[in-house]
Amino acid sequence: MSQKVYITGLGMISAIGNNVPECFLSLSQSKTGIGKIQYLTTRYKDEFLAGEIKLSNAELADLVGDQNPALNRNSYIAMLAAKEAVLNSGIDTKDGLRTGVISSTTVAGMSKTELYYKDLFKNDEHLDVLDTHDCGDSTERIADYIGNVDYVTTISTACSSAANAIMLGCRMIKHGHLDRVVVGGVDALSKFTFNGFNTLMILDREWCRPFDENRKGLNLGEGAAFVVIEGENALNHRKGKALAELIGYANTNDAYHLTASSPEGFGATLAIQQALALSGLKPTDIDYINMHGTGTPNNDLSESKATVAVFGNQVPKFSSTKAFTGHTLAAAASIEAVISVLSLQNSMIFPNLNFNTPIAETGLIPETTLVHTPLNVILSNSFGFGGNCSSLLFKKA
Amino acid sequence: MGETARHYYLRKHNLAKAYINGTGCISPQNSIDSDWFFDEVHSPKGDYFEAIEPSYKDFIAPNLLRRMGRAIKMGVAAGNIAIQQAGVKNVDAIVTGTGLGCFEDSERFLLAILDNDEQFLTPTSFIQSTHNTVGSQIALIMKCHDYNFTYVHRGFSFESTVQDALMLFDEGKDTILVGGIEEHTPNYILLNRKANKFQVREPDMPIWMSEKRGIQMSEGAAFFVLSRNKTQSSLACINGIQTLYKPKNSEDILKKLHMFLSSHRLTLSDMDVALMGFSGDLIFDEKLKSLLPEIEKETTAGAFKNVCGEYHTATAFAMWTATKIIERQQLPKVLAISAKLPSKIKYVLIINQYLDINYSFTLVSQC
Repeated sequence: MSQKVYITGLGMISAIGNNVPECFLSLSQSKTGIGKIQYLTTRYKDEFLAGEIKLSNAELADLVGDQNPALNRNSYIAMLAAKEAVLNSGIDTKDGLRTGVISSTTVAGMSKTELYYKDLFKNDEHLDVLDTHDCGDSTERIADYIGNVDYVTTISTACSSAANAIMLGCRMIKHGHLDRVVVGGVDALSKFTFNGFNTLMILDREWCRPFDENRKGLNLGEGAAFVVIEGENALNHRKGKALAELIGYANTNDAYHLTASSPEGFGATLAIQQALALSGLKPTDIDYINMHGTGTPNNDLSESKATVAVFGNQVPKFSSTKAFTGHTLAAAASIEAVISVLSLQNSMIFPNLNFNTPIAETGLIPETTLVHTPLNVILSNSFGFGGNCSSLLFKKA
Repeated sequence: MGETARHYYLRKHNLAKAYINGTGCISPQNSIDSDWFFDEVHSPKGDYFEAIEPSYKDFIAPNLLRRMGRAIKMGVAAGNIAIQQAGVKNVDAIVTGTGLGCFEDSERFLLAILDNDEQFLTPTSFIQSTHNTVGSQIALIMKCHDYNFTYVHRGFSFESTVQDALMLFDEGKDTILVGGIEEHTPNYILLNRKANKFQVREPDMPIWMSEKRGIQMSEGAAFFVLSRNKTQSSLACINGIQTLYKPKNSEDILKKLHMFLSSHRLTLSDMDVALMGFSGDLIFDEKLKSLLPEIEKETTAGAFKNVCGEYHTATAFAMWTATKIIERQQLPKVLAISAKLPSKIKYVLIINQYLDINYSFTLVSQC
């Protein structure tokens, strides 16, 4: 049988904090990071809210300790979160075991490309964006920042990206290709994504209200989160400590529409069912669900229906933490993986903020205050454009 | 921790194989025609090597076609051809790779934002700008609810799809569609030209002997229906694939190559052809150049980027080429670096490099 895979290190930077302890503090104090737009250049900065990281690019460069002008916001935050995860795990990448970096991003270097694209045709000053625009750039920068990395790849499956990075890392360990992998996702806020979601008319001008009958849409956020996952052999070898076990995962496709989820949540239902099947657990074994819960009318209804389809009238406690961080796209699933591990470690369910009225059709009510309760298994969902549906299962170590 | 202890953690066998049961390839050559075998080879006009695109209405419904960007069209068409050739109705997974994704749609949406100060925008190009659009579109057309992944890592984008497929076969999947897609826009080409990334190759100078800087950027899409089981229509077999991130020097590459081949209980001398990813750039090709004599000692060396140009997923074209070489039992002269051509071809090894950062080995064999 293939070996068990454990999460052994956490790293995260987002609207609610520049590192895991800061994020944990905001979560346990029900303090959202979503507010007035301060850093993104957009004509809509006074009309919409966003979950921005509260640091300028210059401040991020100082934190990273690298003034290389080719670095962009995506790379800065990816490097910071990945390094935090590595330090937290205590792994030594020079010890001869095989280390991988599997990252994910949707718009990669766009936050910088969009600032200079027109200038590129006029002068030569920022032509380096040609080399840093693509998705692979931040992944290779993480790998070089950590050092001694044997394997790199990058995934882009819209808003489920990081869940797929986590899943792939786990599979590569189980197949014996790698001993440990730094997995996660990153997306810096850009005018490109902001306007994209705005044209789709799924941005709420107020704080987003996941699973509320009167929800109007999502708030965009930015962030990066990485976790170190290790096979049990490698972990035992270095006598390291596991924070949680990754016991199930699944990737399915809704195959309904390029952006919208099917009304009945077919792909989501399949993902949850297949993740459960892989773990050998029953629906009743799930103690809490960290929902995708973006706050859009379409997602939350579709996800609610999928939840009912799997759990019937025994729906576990659930919440969406997107009202803390905003929807961080490719980073969302790894941010929520970090939050899930924090929940397991601290026996805490973080609240679904801004909820008032249940969705009439399903009547599901999320946890709206901080709940202290022993948690053994957590399900985390992530869904994205292109019908991508991914579910992960974390177990207390 | 030494190599021996390290080996303890590595799985000693890597037996999953993938049978190639169908291929579809759009490239700067006439590869869309299944009978084409390097008989008439186009040269690039200037410094960019444009793909020859088919009449898409033969492969894609008109209502879908109207909105699609070129990357989506190339990917869906090449995927469609591969599926038709394999004679399958559906697949258990769709895994695509692309370095830049749907760049045309991304650029269109970006320019609309910049030109109109974020006003009067429509969502179509934003929706289609997502890197996983090709894989999603194929899933939508085929109603495939199964595994769907998109890899976007530079010169590893396509390699990652094959690695994933080999694992998926071990996990019980039977039929998988994999493919690599790349498109570039006139503006992107113009900017790369401005950044001095290109060269105009001298027609008589073989790509592996180039002494200039710059590549011939290109584009295309190659798709493969892979199967865990050999069937009557199996064309070739993928024995294994390995990526190598920033190897130190050519000795490092050679050492890893020996390890890769020995994990398949083979040596370099078992290879009948080694297709090498010379790009024409003096610096990027340096390590492959040092490696070439070592390769030629044991087997027949060949090139492929003189025919397909350089792009993130050029290995997909190389894999299509390897499949054809095995099928025809012949190394086309235009690809041959070594003077001595092989008489029978069982193993084709692809050694690729991308910008001297992303290296990979792919082993394709007769089945």
